[in-house]
Amino acid sequence: MMSSNFRAWPLFLLLTVLSLPLVTMYVYLFVDTVTDTTAGSLIPDRFTLQHWRFLWEAPETGRVSIWTVTLNTFVFAICTTLVNVSASVTAGYALSRLNMPFKRFFLGGILTLHAFPTITLIISIFLILQMIGLYNTLIGVILVKTALELPFGIWIMKGFFDNVPWEIEMAGLQDGASRFTVWWKLVLPQVQPGIAALAVFVFLSAWSEFILPQVLAPSGSAQVLSTYLSNLIFDDVKPDFNMFKSVGVFYALPVIVIYLIFNRQLMNIYGGGTKG
Amino acid sequence: MRRAHLLGLGFLSPALVIIVMLFLVPVLLTVMFSFTNMSTATGISGGAYEINSASLRKLADAGAQESFLDALGQEAFVVDDAGITAVAAAYGEQFANEIGSQMLGERFTSRRDLERAFRKLKSRPRSTRDIKKAADLFKRSVLNVRFETADGLVGAVTGNGIAMTPDQQELLTRTIYTGWSWTTDNFALMTQIPYIWRVAGNTVMYVVLTLSVSVGLGLFLAITTFYLPSLPAASFRAIWFLPRILPNVIFVLMWKWLAWDTGFISSFLANFGVAPRNWMLDTDIHAWVFIVLINGMVGASLGMILFGSAIKAIPQPMLYASEVDGASRWQQIRYIILPQLRWPIMFICAYSTLSLMTSFEYILLSTDGGPGGATEVWSLMAFHTALDNYAGNLQYGLGAAMALVLVIVGILASLVYLRIFNFNDLVAKPRIEQ
Repeated sequence: MMSSNFRAWPLFLLLTVLSLPLVTMYVYLFVDTVTDTTAGSLIPDRFTLQHWRFLWEAPETGRVSIWTVTLNTFVFAICTTLVNVSASVTAGYALSRLNMPFKRFFLGGILTLHAFPTITLIISIFLILQMIGLYNTLIGVILVKTALELPFGIWIMKGFFDNVPWEIEMAGLQDGASRFTVWWKLVLPQVQPGIAALAVFVFLSAWSEFILPQVLAPSGSAQVLSTYLSNLIFDDVKPDFNMFKSVGVFYALPVIVIYLIFNRQLMNIYGGGTKG
Repeated sequence: MRRAHLLGLGFLSPALVIIVMLFLVPVLLTVMFSFTNMSTATGISGGAYEINSASLRKLADAGAQESFLDALGQEAFVVDDAGITAVAAAYGEQFANEIGSQMLGERFTSRRDLERAFRKLKSRPRSTRDIKKAADLFKRSVLNVRFETADGLVGAVTGNGIAMTPDQQELLTRTIYTGWSWTTDNFALMTQIPYIWRVAGNTVMYVVLTLSVSVGLGLFLAITTFYLPSLPAASFRAIWFLPRILPNVIFVLMWKWLAWDTGFISSFLANFGVAPRNWMLDTDIHAWVFIVLINGMVGASLGMILFGSAIKAIPQPMLYASEVDGASRWQQIRYIILPQLRWPIMFICAYSTLSLMTSFEYILLSTDGGPGGATEVWSLMAFHTALDNYAGNLQYGLGAAMALVLVIVGILASLVYLRIFNFNDLVAKPRIEQ
């Protein structure tokens, strides 16, 4: 099995050296949140929990409590996921299986939008939200995020529906079920892994979103964790990196948990999802 | 329309509504906004017309004649019906009627002239003070009055006895309007920005450098982890996949900590007597190195996964057979693996070129275009112009025009990609006709 071309140790060494900066950053990201380091030294020398005090101390005046912000972030990410997945599941099925006029046009449109760089639209979206009164609200950001992720979601779901054998549907129709019942009872269970993968993907993407909340809902009441952390970093004259990192780790916890659970599915959707 | 069609459209409609509202409308409005002069100063709803000292100055700058400006700025005394009614209420019908019959429509440039005219009337009030007060009732001025429409303004100005040529009228209404208006100036303005070519150059450099790092590093990681036993390979993949899914604020925070003057590099180099400094922002070159590394690693994550799954699709016996034939590892990579990766590499290049050209999150968070605009790219410039600048006057119209350039490039590129990546293969005909 182990042939000379698969000899590992030189590669192992090379990769280790290359990964060293990243690993250093990861390790210090966690270690610095619970330790203090004497100025000028690289080795932390005492244990402390005071960098996490933002969790239990009352917020400074003008700042919002981290728990409100966390709740906002959850509401934002979960609503975006729900709306996005529901719309993608129906539209993906329609484009994959159903007859309709202008199907090619819709499909081409979705695909074009998928490649289209959405962030260039932020200026006009900002003005639209101001005009219709959704500026500075969580609802506005949720709708915008949903819309911008939708072409990707539809495309992914279409791919999953394409892989469901036609025979399942034909059998259901033979037995007298309506097209809708067939979709709901027979086809949807077949694409459950796809729905789960898309939901995880959209949740992560919304959870990490920074520019949209920053531009469209900058005020305190609609703040999410990404803007909270970046404001913290920008405001401070004398940076307290230990505290920033604690907030950062707090913010990243759901991401890391999800990553550990859905590792394989995530690699799949990030890899396959952008194909085409 | 057949029932099956209705079902299809019904299934599609929720997505369609959302996409039209927040995707297609923004595209069209970007075009619209780029032909306006919207800014914080003009507001985004309508405006109004008002002549005041500031707008007179603006008129002078726009080249209005001195005499016209003087006429606008002066107050005049015009004998009109409104004034006569007011006089009737204050000083009795008789005086009012006399004014109406003898002086209606006359115009005086000063109060003294009007008073003198009043003194010739029989039924005038006795006291000088009353005459002065009565004269004041005819004082007409367009200064500091707000008009909702251009016609209202023009009516008031001409009603005040100020004659305007059509040119002057046009100049007046255009110059003193406080709201936004249609204009094609944005594109000319854009080319006049002194650093615009530098920004365009930065954008090209940013895309090329970042893409090379992403693809190069991605390839390297995919191929090396392929040759490793599964456990270390999985760990390395995990390490290099994290940049992709970590929220960008945190990823940039780690780099800032690395580079800050109290951060890791400074502390580490202090042992060798190097003075601490901000390694990310101290020189243009350093800023560029960090920008390219930060974005490149995120891109390499995606590349590693895509290339990795393409390599896994290569039949194992092919690799073993090549070894039996005496191929070195380098030859294996060159003649078996790389040809397999042609499509994924093309895909990454196409996809990333577009997204790199337009995305600015990591630059915004790390250098914010600094130091001194050295890392400012096109999309960041549009963002700074329209949504975030220190001067405080956000120029939505100009920013939209800058974004429109990217929108057009984006649409064209997406259409080309549709061609390249074989759209026809993706559309399958439904097999159930119902």
